Amino acid sequence: MAQGHHIIPKKTLFSVFATLIGLTILTVITAKGIDFGVLEIPVALAIASTKAVLVLVFFMALKYDSRVNALTITVGVVFVGIFIIFTMLDTVFRGDLDNVSSITISQQEREEEALRAREPDAEQLRVAPGDFMDGDDDAPDDES
Amino acid sequence: MATQTQETQDVQAHGDGHGHHERLQHHFLSLDQQFGSAKLGMWLFLVTELLLFSGMFVAFAVYLQWYPEAFAVGAEALDWRMGLANTIVLLASSLTVALSIHFIQKGNTKAMITSLSATLGLAVVFLVIKYFEYTDKFANGIFPGEAFNPTGSYAFLDVPNAVQYFSIYYVMTGIHAVHVIVGMGLFAWLIYRALRNHFSPEWYTPVELGGLYWHFVDLIWIFLFPLLYLI
Repeated sequence: MAQGHHIIPKKTLFSVFATLIGLTILTVITAKGIDFGVLEIPVALAIASTKAVLVLVFFMALKYDSRVNALTITVGVVFVGIFIIFTMLDTVFRGDLDNVSSITISQQEREEEALRAREPDAEQLRVAPGDFMDGDDDAPDDES
Repeated sequence: MATQTQETQDVQAHGDGHGHHERLQHHFLSLDQQFGSAKLGMWLFLVTELLLFSGMFVAFAVYLQWYPEAFAVGAEALDWRMGLANTIVLLASSLTVALSIHFIQKGNTKAMITSLSATLGLAVVFLVIKYFEYTDKFANGIFPGEAFNPTGSYAFLDVPNAVQYFSIYYVMTGIHAVHVIVGMGLFAWLIYRALRNHFSPEWYTPVELGGLYWHFVDLIWIFLFPLLYLI
């Protein structure tokens, strides 16, 4: 029979709820009020993860449940981690890997500066290898 | 074998209709085992849901890293107060679902119905707030994809790649909202069954599984809120 089910006390449920609301307000304060610079996203994700763990452990009762359910969701989270990390390993470093220009990187940077100086109004100017007009470039020059 | 004997007894007992709990299906040994199996199945389903949403989170991460300026501008266009209100609404609805399970475990069907109705009401509040957010954006030409044409108070969004932010915003919040609508259907069904006294402290599996689903919908929003509205 089902008498073995753990009944979570009301007090626990309400204090978990209060903590979740507190963390929600904390995440608004840290994002809107305090400047963490590059740590902005990690701080927001850390708070969100803490909230997620509270929901999983208490509201979804993993703490009182058969361990196989906790294992199931943990494996799912691990695979999401693999998904994100391996995708980012590609997309974050794309510019470095497909940089097949015949000129050196410092020379590319100088050309980029020159292009910016020529068109100071252009926002978010991104330079592709085809933009370089260094004479012996094998890219077709279609700007003439 | 003990298993065999138990099963045989159950099947035989069924003859007079009172040999075992009416909710116990014959391929399970006990209500506890049946409950555990149902819950494991639900967790497996939630993992597939997690993977569905993770694809969108990965897309968000990639584009955020590629176009940080456009995403900062996009996030500014969202009203974080509305997002905060919706976060509190969903957290409260998670509490009421957890309470409804607490009540049925204690045999208090009436309190469970009240709790489930509160959850349904909070889901409606969530969608109403979302409706106001969407219509405000639509009125100013903030659409996903190529229809994106910011005007009026949102004219500052006319920057490269801001459309990418809003395409992801609409897909993620849209699929999340679909889950909220499904949850509303589930709660209406649970309330209907509870009114007919289908649940007891011995058997309340649908309430438990519906609760797990709803907490999951809340979990997704816990990540959507800071990522879309605050960063």
